[in-house]
Parts: sequence; structure tokens; C-alpha cells
Amino acid sequence: MLTRDFVGGVASIAIGAVYLFFAYQLRSSALDDSMGPGGLPRLYGWLLVGLGAVLTIQALLASRLATADVSSEEKGEWDGQGRKVAFAAGLLAIGLGYIFVIETLGYLLSVAVLLLVTALYLGAGNKGRVVAVAVFGAIFLWVMFVIVLGVRMPSGLLASLGL
Amino acid sequence: METLTHTAAFLLEWNVILAALIGVTWGIMGGSLPGISPSITMALLLPFTYTLDPTSAIVLLASTYIGAEYGGSVPAILIRTPGTNAAAATVIDGYEMNRQGKAGLALGISLYSGVIGSLFGLAMLMTLSGPLAQVALAFTPMAYFALGILGLSVIATLSGENLVKGLIAAMLGLIIATIGSDPVTGGTRFTFGSAELLGGIEPVMIMVGLFAMSELLVQASRRGKDDRVTSRPRIQFPDWPLAKRLIPAQLIGNGIGTFEGVMPGAGGTIASFMSYNEARRWSRHPEEFGKGSPEGIAAPETANNTVAETALVPLLSFGIPGSNSTAILLGGFLIHGIVPGPMLFQKSGEVVYGLYAGLFTAAIGQLVIGMAMLPVCIWLVNRPRPYLNAFIFALILSGIYSIHNEAFDLGIMIAAGVAGFFMRMLRFPFLPTVLGLVLGYLVESNFRRSLVLSGDDLMIFVDDRISLALLVLAFLFIGGSIAKRGYELLRHRPSSTFSENAES
Amino acid sequence: MNKLHLVSAVAAVVWAGGLNSAQAQEYPVDTVTLITHSSPGGGSDVFLRELSRYLAPYLGANVIVENVSGGSGAKAMAQLAQAPADGSMFYATTPTFIYTSLLSDPEYKYTDLEPLVNFFIDPEVIYTSAKSEFKTLEDVIQYARDGRGQWGAANPASLERQALEQLKAASGVNAAVVTHEGGGDMMINVLNGTLQIGVGEVQEIQSQIEAGELRLLATFSDKRLDAFPEVPTVKETGYDVVVRKFRGLAGPKGLPDDVVAAWEAATQKVLADPKYKEAYEGANLRAEFIPHADYVKFIETFGAETEGFLKETGVIE
Repeated sequence: MLTRDFVGGVASIAIGAVYLFFAYQLRSSALDDSMGPGGLPRLYGWLLVGLGAVLTIQALLASRLATADVSSEEKGEWDGQGRKVAFAAGLLAIGLGYIFVIETLGYLLSVAVLLLVTALYLGAGNKGRVVAVAVFGAIFLWVMFVIVLGVRMPSGLLASLGL
Repeated sequence: METLTHTAAFLLEWNVILAALIGVTWGIMGGSLPGISPSITMALLLPFTYTLDPTSAIVLLASTYIGAEYGGSVPAILIRTPGTNAAAATVIDGYEMNRQGKAGLALGISLYSGVIGSLFGLAMLMTLSGPLAQVALAFTPMAYFALGILGLSVIATLSGENLVKGLIAAMLGLIIATIGSDPVTGGTRFTFGSAELLGGIEPVMIMVGLFAMSELLVQASRRGKDDRVTSRPRIQFPDWPLAKRLIPAQLIGNGIGTFEGVMPGAGGTIASFMSYNEARRWSRHPEEFGKGSPEGIAAPETANNTVAETALVPLLSFGIPGSNSTAILLGGFLIHGIVPGPMLFQKSGEVVYGLYAGLFTAAIGQLVIGMAMLPVCIWLVNRPRPYLNAFIFALILSGIYSIHNEAFDLGIMIAAGVAGFFMRMLRFPFLPTVLGLVLGYLVESNFRRSLVLSGDDLMIFVDDRISLALLVLAFLFIGGSIAKRGYELLRHRPSSTFSENAES
Repeated sequence: MNKLHLVSAVAAVVWAGGLNSAQAQEYPVDTVTLITHSSPGGGSDVFLRELSRYLAPYLGANVIVENVSGGSGAKAMAQLAQAPADGSMFYATTPTFIYTSLLSDPEYKYTDLEPLVNFFIDPEVIYTSAKSEFKTLEDVIQYARDGRGQWGAANPASLERQALEQLKAASGVNAAVVTHEGGGDMMINVLNGTLQIGVGEVQEIQSQIEAGELRLLATFSDKRLDAFPEVPTVKETGYDVVVRKFRGLAGPKGLPDDVVAAWEAATQKVLADPKYKEAYEGANLRAEFIPHADYVKFIETFGAETEGFLKETGVIE
């Protein structure tokens, strides 16, 4: 039953519903045109819900119509996805960690840590090389963004050193 | 002819040549860093233009713009990250070619298509800016709305095997585009009290998230299974049969780029997507699109470089900047006391001829600098996966941060990456989302503006001739592609339809 | 996806040309940072950069311009409100910062800042295409009275929009006020006849006026413009609407008296500087120095009026 399309359809209905909930709360004013700020968002919301419903029905019909070998195929469809999501979630956690530390640690340090942790997480073997890549990569990015392009990256802990 | 002789005189001025070469190099560098948009790249140079003479200053800024528009294609091909919004269409086939070990050829095609686009656009700018300015003038809000719909009609053909999924993906893009300030009242929508969302979400954050971040997540999820083909670190230009095959695609890019560039507010992203779609429609090998078609690089890259030149038409003729980048160029003019507009040629004709000469030099310089720089870039992406991916991760996090200096934006990008990861798992296409995101504001604001103009009479879209023509064209496109899908379904020919994200 | 949101720390250092101590005052800090929410090349940015060139010697300090865009000024206001009140940092104010404060309700608002002095009042003018049949403002209003007028304002919820809504109310006609994404967009629609009139600043349309493609119908200023003495004010035409688009500076609350005094003196001197005068008059800016005490009241009144307008029309609660 739980084909990709079914899950996609249900997710679309859910997203559309949440969006519509907020779209109906937009306030109107005398400066509005006849559609108002909420006009098109409501249309988009309903379209998303409608399309999600179509996709869900399509998925249900397709699995009804299909023959007996469906069950085995279905199994194959989701095989190993759980493990994949878990591995991806690890990288996601590293990214979120970076967001949390960048303001306090500063750009140079956090980007070095990011390079180190990500390379190790993705399976880099050679320890010396990992450290070298992290250090030189961080310095390269720092020179590129902060010195050359003049982007104001947070300096954090190293502020006193003028970095 | 007179234009040509005046311009040629400036080709001997060392300051113009130097400004053009510095500009284009700086531009390629900025453009190829994800998140550093062409306008930011130009803005960083603005203070240095104070002390220059007006001609060099303008040439420096304009060449930066040209370089940056080209530079966006480099990370698009090499690391699936569009460096600029307009390079999003190049990602599809460019990255696919890279995966097949043809990165050198892909970069060669994008480089020389870019140069062709620049030179063609420059020729249009020099010879036809009068008539082209009239085209810009004829575009009413109704026509802009119709143009947006025409752009959205591309979704019908870029949706992959399931049109419903494509439309859902497009809705997500349109929904993201409604975040920020309302185009008519200026009130806030869907910002939930956050100051960071007041100005809306920059498309590039979503694009980098959908394309690059989701790719990193997918590769992390596949741990260890590295089936990569590396490319030789050498830039490769197409041989004659391939070059001949690319000509129609490049002409399409030139044509669409010229018109989109002239219209303030339309811009390079629409031009590259429409060229991509048209190149596919008219190609002899439409089935290759999405699977590493060289035409799929040539068309959008020609288009966005053409746009970078013809976008100067409304700026020079009316003093109207059509994009953030041309707004900064306008600032460059104003700082030197030159006011672009109808009096520009009478008052400061010399600066304009200098600009033409500079743009020509920049186009040639782009070729030389590209050839010198690209092998290094290929070498870099041939490093072992864990190191490369860690570096890409750091690069996009740095680039996105530099847009507003906000960690908040990193959250948006990563969220888009997670959404992209699940969209790939559930086999939803990305391209409709990108189109909806880029066109949402254009379509909504001009639709509502037109209705304010007409007092809520929808006939206004029919009464405006340009709008009518574009809408008819859009419906033909949509009808045609639906009919084609229906036909293929009946014949049980599982599809020559376009597919992206073919791998799960 | 509005026009222009960039952030960049662009700094143009202008040296206080040969600080000859006899003339220069003792300014408490060496470097003054002027912050604008406008991006490089935008209206306020060009104004500040031009100003910074001439101001330094009169003030006796370096003057640096920094762009802090994002949230239409919300971010710049937050930065200013938290900055030390020692005269080292100021924010270039235009009506935008009042509109943003009222419309988006950010954490720090215009009321959290202290207005310093005013430099200019930009004249807002009503213009039409030179090819159109309209010769006077009355023609346009009559046209709207007979049928349905279409008037253009550059941005949603802006001073221009407010001016047109007030003109609508004063004349009692029902015209559609069409908002755009910036003045350029609107100018095209005036030129191609989609709109009868547009409202904008003179410097934006200068080139078109010189080329004879646009015609000025009236100005929203309180008196006629020196550059266009034949153009009547809207008030003269019989509709009591006056618009003052100010350009000045604001700082953190609690500015010390010596800083204020230094700015009041330097502002008057720089506005009288013949070279600077030539530059700003060329750009159709009208010098209008407002001293600190009056400027605080001016911004207060302006804010209250705007708030009244936005509440009356129901845009905000």
C-alpha cells in the first residue's frame, strides 16, 4: 500500500493544509486589491491539496490494478531506505552543529572542525591527511571569503587575534 | 558603422582593457562561489571605482557582471551547485556529463557557448538597442504576467514521467515565493514575526539546498559505494560534428536571451530555462536531455550570457535597472555623475563606446581565463569523495552565510536540502520547484497589478496584444505536451519524457 | 525577492583632509560609520557616499559608509539601537525606516533611535508621458472623475502611495493606485501609457525630462522647485497634500550634547560648501537643514501621521 506516490500524495495534502491554515489568517486592509495578500496563497494551497489527493488516488488505483507480484516489489521499494535516512541524518546533524557553533567559535575554527568531522564521517581513512585537509581547507576558505571578498564572518573566539 | 569606429578606438586604451580583464576574472571567481551572486560580486568592487575614470569604472563593473554570469556554470557542472540563479538549468545536464567523466567537455561547451552568448548579445546591444528598447517599453504588467505563465508552462515538459508530481513540485516553489512582503500592500506574509524573512527567501538558498545539499545527503546515505568516474583535468572543446549539433541550441539561447535580457525584471533564470526547454523541443536527440546532453549545457549558457549584455539596453536607454546587478551598475554611473537614459549618448557618448570596447575585451578575456582556470577546478573535484564532499559542504555553508551574514539562512538552505532528499526518495522532480520559486513573485505581482489597473476585469489580459500572444503560446505548449503524454500512454511507449534525478 | 537585498561591508574611507587643528573641532571619535539599509548603488547609498566625501573635514573625523541591508532597514535599526551612543555610528534615515517600523513590527523600531539632523528634502513630483493629453494635474483628476484613473506609485506601502491615496481622498475621485517594484518599473508604464501619472523623485526621471519624454504636472513640495519654477505645487492646484521625503541621520538614544553640536555645525557648513552644493543641486536634492531638537519632533510627527494613515486604511492594527 505504501508506495512512494502514496506517501508523496499524503505529504502534499498535509503541507497544503498547513499552508492554507496560515493563508486564511492573513489580514486584509483598505489598501488591498480585490484579491488581497491571501488570494493567490489560498489558490496555491487548494491546488496543492487537490493535486495531492489526485496523486494519492492514482497510487491507490495503481496498487489495486497491479497483479500479485506487487507485494514483493513494494518490499524492494523501501528496502534499506531506513538505513539511508539514518546515514543522511548524520550529515544533517553535522550541518546543524555548525550553525550552532559558528557564532561562538568563529568562522575559521568552526569551518576547520566541520571539514574534519565531515571527512571522517564520510569515511576518510588517512588521519594525517584529514587533519591537513581540515587545516588548509579552512585557511583557504577563510582567505577567500574574509580577506579577498571581505565578507564579515563571525570571528568568535579568535576575535582577540584579529581573525 | 560610426559606433564601430568609435568603439574600436577604445580597444587600444590600456585602462579599458585592464579594467575589462580584472573585472571578468573577479567576476568568474565570485560567480563560481555559490551564494556570492553577480550583484554581490559587483558591489564588492564598487568602492574601488571611485578613484577610477568613469569609463574604466563602468567597464570594470560591467565585465564583472559578464564574468559572474559565466562563472555560475562552473560549480553547476562540477559540484551540482548553481553558482548563480541563472545557472540552475545548467546543473541538469552539466552535472550528468561530469558523472560520466566528461567534465572537461562540459566545461568547454559552457565556456565557448558563454563567449558566443556574450559576443552575440554585445552585437545586439551595439546595433539594435533602439528597437530593443521599444520592445521593453511595450511590456505592460499584463504582458509580464503572460511572460511568467509562459515560463511556468515549461513545467509541463520538465515534470518527468508523472505530471501531477511535477505540478506539486511547482506549487511548493510558488508557495515559497509568497513568503515575505506582499507586492501590493507591502504587508508581511508567512514571516511568523521573523525579521530575516521580511525580504523573502533568496532563490539561491533553495537551489543550493535542493541540488547540492540533497546530493551531499544522498552520498552520505550511500556510504562507501563510490561509483564515480573521474574526468581528466583537461578542458576539451567539442569537435566539428558536435559543434555543428550545438548551433541550433546556441541560436535558441541567443534569441531567447536577447528578449529576456531587454525586459526589466525578467532576467537570466527564465531565459536559461526557456532556452533549455526549447533546445530540447527542437533537438534531434531530445531523449538525451536530463542524461547528459551537450545541447542542454549550450542553450542555457548561451542564453544567460546573452542576457548579461542585453540587460544593459533598458539601463542605457531609460536608466532603468532590470536586476540587482544592473542596479549596481547604475550606481556606478551615478557615482561618476553620469545619468543613463535618453540623454546618455549626447552627454557621455564616449563612456558608452568605452563600455562596448570593454565588453568585447571581457568576452575574449573570459575565454582565456576560463581555459587557464578550469583544469585546476577539475583536478580539485577529482579528489577522494570524503574530502571533496566535506569541502563542498564547507563551501556552500560559507557562501550562503555571506548573502546576509545570517546563520538563519544556513537553516533555510539545509531545510531545503532535507526537502530535496525526500523529494528524490519519493521521485519528485526539482526543476518545477525552481521555476515556481523564480517566477512566483513575477506572476503574482503582475497579475494583481493588472487587475488593479482594469478594476478586476480579466479581459485586460486579452485586450493587451502581447499578453494575448504569449498566453496563447503558453497554452499551445501546455496542450501540446499533455497531448504528447496522452499519445505515448495510449501507445504504451514508456516515455521519451524528460527525467531528472533518475537515480534514487 | 524584492529589489536588492545584499549585504556587504563596503567601506569607503575618506580622510579628514589635513586636519588643521585651528579650524577642525574636537570630535570625540576618530571614525564615524554611516549605515544605510540601501544596497550599494541605491538611492541612500549614493547620497551617503557623496556626503562622506565632503563631510569629513568639517566634522573632523573619518567618515565610512556601510551597507546593512536586509528586512528593509529592520536589521540596520537593530544594529544602531544596540550601538554605543558616542557619535561613532549613525543611520541614514528616509521615510522607509518609519514604514518598516510600522508595517513589519521589528524588534527595534524608529522610536528606539534618536534623530540627529536632517540634510535634504527630496521633492516628490507627479509626472506624465510627454505624448499624453494631460497638461495639468486637473486634467488627470478630471479624467479619473469621468472614468477610472490609473495612477502609479513606485513601491507598496510607501510615502508615494500615501501621497496618492491622500490626493484621491482630497479630490474625491476613485483612481486605481498601482504599486510597483521600484521607480523604473513604473516609469515604463507611464511612458507606454498604461498609467496616466506616476509619482517619483526628480533625480530618477531627470534624464527623461531633459529628453522631453516626460512632463512634470505638479510637485508635492510645500513651495515650487527652483529648477522647475513653472511647475505648480499640488497645494496650489487646490488639493491640500504636502509630502516631505526627508534624508537625514539618526543615532542610538542618548547622544551626548557635544556630538549633536558638532553635527549641527558641520551639517550647515557642508551644505554651504560650493562644490558639494553643485553636486547635490545637480542631482535635484533640496538642502533643508533641520537642527536636532526640531528634527526629533519632525520625525515624531511624521511617524504619528504615517501610523494614523496606515491604521485608517487598515493595513496595521
